[in-house]
Amino acid sequence: MGEKILEVHNLTTRFATERGEVTAVQGISFHVDRGEILGLVGESGCGKSVTSQSILRLYDERRDVRYEGEIRFEGRNLLALPEKKMRSVRGGEIAMVFQDSLSSLDPLFTCADQIMESILIHRKISRAKARAEAVEMLRLVGIPDPEKRADQYPHELSGGMRQRVMIACALSCRPKLLIADEPTTALDVTIQAQIMELIRDLNEKLNMGVILITHDLAVVSEMCTRVAVMYLGQIVEEADVVTLFEHPLHPYTQGLLRSIPTVKGGKREELSVIEGTVPPLDRIPEGCRFRPRCPNASPLCSGQMPGLKPVGEGHRVRCFLCGGEEKEARS
Amino acid sequence: MLNYIFRRLLALIPVLLIVSLTIFLLIHLVPGDPAAAMLGENATQEQIDALHTAMGLDLPLPLQYLRWMGRLLRGDLGTSYFMKGTVNEILRDHMVPTLQQTAVAVAFAALVGVPLGMIAAVHRGRAADRLISGFSTVGVSMPSFLMGLGLVLLFSVKLRLLPSSGYKEIAVAGWRTHMRYMLLPGIALGFIEMGLIIRMTRSAVLEILSADYMRMARSKGVSRVRLFLKHALKNALIGILTVVGLSFISCLGGAAVTETIFNIPGIGKLTLNAVMRRDYEVVQAVVLVVSLLNVVCTLILDLFFAMIDPRIRLQ
Ligand SMILES: Nc1ncnc2c1ncn2[C@@H]1O[C@H](COP(=O)(O)OP(=O)(O)OP(=O)(O)O)[C@@H](O)[C@H]1O
Ligand SMILES: [Mg+2]
Repeated sequence: MGEKILEVHNLTTRFATERGEVTAVQGISFHVDRGEILGLVGESGCGKSVTSQSILRLYDERRDVRYEGEIRFEGRNLLALPEKKMRSVRGGEIAMVFQDSLSSLDPLFTCADQIMESILIHRKISRAKARAEAVEMLRLVGIPDPEKRADQYPHELSGGMRQRVMIACALSCRPKLLIADEPTTALDVTIQAQIMELIRDLNEKLNMGVILITHDLAVVSEMCTRVAVMYLGQIVEEADVVTLFEHPLHPYTQGLLRSIPTVKGGKREELSVIEGTVPPLDRIPEGCRFRPRCPNASPLCSGQMPGLKPVGEGHRVRCFLCGGEEKEARS
Repeated sequence: MLNYIFRRLLALIPVLLIVSLTIFLLIHLVPGDPAAAMLGENATQEQIDALHTAMGLDLPLPLQYLRWMGRLLRGDLGTSYFMKGTVNEILRDHMVPTLQQTAVAVAFAALVGVPLGMIAAVHRGRAADRLISGFSTVGVSMPSFLMGLGLVLLFSVKLRLLPSSGYKEIAVAGWRTHMRYMLLPGIALGFIEMGLIIRMTRSAVLEILSADYMRMARSKGVSRVRLFLKHALKNALIGILTVVGLSFISCLGGAAVTETIFNIPGIGKLTLNAVMRRDYEVVQAVVLVVSLLNVVCTLILDLFFAMIDPRIRLQ
């Protein structure tokens, strides 16, 4: 195992809303090794974005949000860091790429301006040097004619280009960890593949850890070393990518995997979807959160919330039934 | 950018044509006869007809319009039927106090409204926001004559700080005295606009504070202060300046009320009198000049917006 650069312990994120406090992320723990790509998957609304934005503490702490737990990054607890120190982590050591590149780039500034912004914040260099670096970053992320593109505005670029510009922004200060929150959902398939290729390439070149958030399991299987599956603010299963795809234990993971279209022996398999929908945060079920949608649910599941139990080497699962079976098999 | 300016100027020509035609028709199709009004009740029909001929009012309307336009293009707004001097002179004399009053009103509205709107947005949902939003509602719903009377009662009658009415030219009385006379009418005129500016600024800034690019900038390590000054303000500027520009136009229109209360010899009072007497030339000229100011104001704003927003330049 490599050196852990990020360790999240029992992170809980609560939002104050008009209808009272909601808990969007409930006691999640995971880690990222240096240079690895961790996949974070789950249906829409299960708290992937909240998790990633909690790591950088992007929510307004004076008003909206309350964090609990610990986020250890290279030994420091980010949740205890004063705002000023936190600012040097943001963009400098942990950088983020968002889903929608059109709305995430400021429409009134050129690409170079937006890349230079991070460079000038985190590094003591002149504007001219920063600009040269910005152009260099554009070249690195594969933008043709970077000198010209640098002076263009976001609306003048295509979606794929903009996503590359955003990645250039994120990588301009050589962060140790990149959080990519569904970096390709707004793009078409070929561009999607190119962006993923780029992320993997840079991950190898810069030995940078990556948290890749997506709900595309095919992407996960190609890109990631390990995967954490989230459901309704909790991690329900975590394993290395091979184990997760070959021996998924949690019924939710199994459901997700079954919903990937596959063609076997020339015959298209029937696509199955998980019954029901993710409930809203103010109606979280008692006991196991997945119980109402679980095909294997038993009375045991409604009484108590199952813990996230280790079932094998680096494999953890939050389910009474699968954990139990494993134990029985062992004893 | 030059290209954009040129296109904008070109687009003005049809606008101005339509404006002039509308003004002309409105005024000439409304019943009432300036000749009859001028000659008084005892005038005979012959006298009236003779005056019509002299004033060119017997010509067919299209011809009257063309003659008017012809003069306009030479910069000649005509002569008043009732007042001494050319309309150009009359207008210039009356325009100055109105513009001065409007300038004070807009300056007041913007200098108070924009910061308050920003404070409200930043403190959304808290006491400061509620206080400011309440204040803006009062501002928006306060008619300017009430506001004017209230100000006079407080600052002139009770505190005896400022004069209650009148107008002093800068050239004659100096800046300080001029401003002492302009302050109350300016504030009365600008109060509603201040309310509107608070509201618009608040919602413009609120929208931008929750924009994705603000979150992105924060994730790059930009400090809150810089985030606000660099990204939020620049993006909110278009919304804010649009309201400020609009408030300039509506202050010009609303000046008649405060000019009457504070007895200022401005364009509002001039228009009221001219309309009563069917002084076509003056009314036409006033409406035309105000519309022109409107068009110019919009043009300046648009050019400014094109300067800050690259997306506008493209269109
Ligand atoms: N600022 C907020 N205030 C209150 N609730 C929030 C806030 N942000 C997110 N939530 C809630 O937290 C839950 C998780 O949202 P999140 O955006 O993390 O989902 P996600 O897994 O990223 O989904 P998607 O795949 O659609 O991006 C949702 O129910 C959402 O309504
Ligand atoms: Mg999300």
